[in-house]
Amino acid sequence: MEKDGNVSDTTLSSPPLDLRAAEADRARRAGEKYVPWVLLAPTTIILTLVGFYPLVYSLYISTTAYKPTQATRYQGFVGIDNYAAGIVDGQFLHALGLTALFTLASVGISLVLAIAMSMLFSQQRPGFVLLRTIILIPMLITPIAVGIVWRTMMMPDLGVLNYLLQAVSLPPLLWTGSYETALASMILVDVWQWTPFMFIIIFAGVKALPTSPFEAAAIDGAGPMRTFFSVTLPMLKPVIVIATLLRLIDAMRTFDTIHLMTRGGPNFATDVVSVYLQRVNFRFFDLGYGAALSWMTLIVILVTVLIFVKLTGFMKLVALKEDR
Amino acid sequence: MAATDFSFAENRQPRHPARLLKAAAAYLAALLATAFFAFPVYWMVASALKSDVDVAAYPPRWSFEPTLQNFHKLFNELGAWQAFQNSLFIVGIATCLAMIFGTMAAYALARFDIGGKNVMAFEILSVRMLPPIVSVIPLFIIARQLGLFDTPWLLIAVYVLNGLPFVVWVMRVFIQEVPQSIEEAALIDGCSRYECFWRITLPLLLPGLAATMVIVFMFAWNEYLLASILTSRDARTLPVIAASAIQPKAISWGLSSAAGVIMSLPVVVLVLLMQRYLVRGLTLGAVKG
Repeated sequence: MEKDGNVSDTTLSSPPLDLRAAEADRARRAGEKYVPWVLLAPTTIILTLVGFYPLVYSLYISTTAYKPTQATRYQGFVGIDNYAAGIVDGQFLHALGLTALFTLASVGISLVLAIAMSMLFSQQRPGFVLLRTIILIPMLITPIAVGIVWRTMMMPDLGVLNYLLQAVSLPPLLWTGSYETALASMILVDVWQWTPFMFIIIFAGVKALPTSPFEAAAIDGAGPMRTFFSVTLPMLKPVIVIATLLRLIDAMRTFDTIHLMTRGGPNFATDVVSVYLQRVNFRFFDLGYGAALSWMTLIVILVTVLIFVKLTGFMKLVALKEDR
Repeated sequence: MAATDFSFAENRQPRHPARLLKAAAAYLAALLATAFFAFPVYWMVASALKSDVDVAAYPPRWSFEPTLQNFHKLFNELGAWQAFQNSLFIVGIATCLAMIFGTMAAYALARFDIGGKNVMAFEILSVRMLPPIVSVIPLFIIARQLGLFDTPWLLIAVYVLNGLPFVVWVMRVFIQEVPQSIEEAALIDGCSRYECFWRITLPLLLPGLAATMVIVFMFAWNEYLLASILTSRDARTLPVIAASAIQPKAISWGLSSAAGVIMSLPVVVLVLLMQRYLVRGLTLGAVKG
């Protein structure tokens, strides 16, 4: 607004144009009051109709016994029955636990790998730029395609992974075929696909590090380990937090690769919450119950994100942009 | 040649043996990491180019006669061509709309003094956190009731919604980085706000716009869950087709790998071309790449 003040000052000081310019300026400012709202309108409408409305609708469905495939069954209002059933649904709790395990393991391993790779590739050596670019590719591959190729490679009898294991005289694995290794296999796939995502974000942070703290550490006689843990890591905190939060949100809702590779099996070993919900909704068509479970999942995810945000001061990291 | 190499090594080695060892270790680690991330990609491309006999061979065949028969089959028998067109249509329109609406909103949030704009910005951001499983059921029911099931339209709307947080947040940062003084100068020269945006600000935003667009395109192009629920035959997108290629008992790995290659290629090419702003876009503007 103050800039508009400047504008009229300047225009007024140039006499031949002054009347017309001042008038145009007034008209501009009168019209401008509505401009931001016009600009925001399409986004607001989409947010309300496609984002907010389905949410409210889903909240409503979650209080009914809606099951479209069974016309004779009672479909009406049941209050919080669905939620009460959800809390004691062993299958649902199992799915939540698996999701937590999957998310923690996958994001944790990815984070360690990504930090190590960022340090490695921050060395300026010929060829490293090319290798770095190649490493980005997994995060760009369609998750369905990722599932396809890993399922091919993990076939116990024909797959190339077991061939490679045997080539270095290790015992072959059943991968997604056995209860013990299925979840670990899915974690491996997730780590493969999304470590590049964390890597490029953290790498950007490493590249932007100032040199003076490192010179100071060197003068103080800090060894490489000491420098890494006391100087590098603390300075990388903002990028690490952002990369971890984004990855956390996505890992908790992983669906495509697991759906394609195991459908939650064998014996529910990889039955994460999104896969279980898909089954409740579109295999059993228990839509009322499914909606209630989705809401409970949403709340779990929100609480997790909020705890993470609180612990790390994420908002401060993002809100910095506001002050510029 | 060999003599020169040798003398080079001779010159170097006595002076920096530790350095050489460090370089060797760095290259070894870097190559191992690259091999881990690149091998499955190579395997997908190789399987797509193998004949049915080669793809099922054990031990795996490392050298084989490449063939395009999987791609032929994919387009002729599986309806991949229609799915490709569907994907392009749905994702293309959704990306354009998200870019236009999102940039408008970002401009309003970055340049005007309006109450509650931070609340607005965080509301938009929260879409990024919403797991799709929550809105899947209502969207499915709405699609049935409005007759939008198996048409592109609802899917377009959903992809616009999913793209908006990226566009609004990233473009807000890019717009803030265009100095206001440039716009003010144009305003003084008698440009209207509208002209000022089109002639002055927009050209400066083009690189940022292109980078954001690639990311919005990527997420919509790769999306499977909603596409599989809101479409059945006519509006199927590529991921839906590819996933259905492995449904039957007799799975054709060559065929599904070919589908994977066709699906992933546009995104890989686009993003690698636009790498410069990738980090900016992926972190919703929070990290400079």
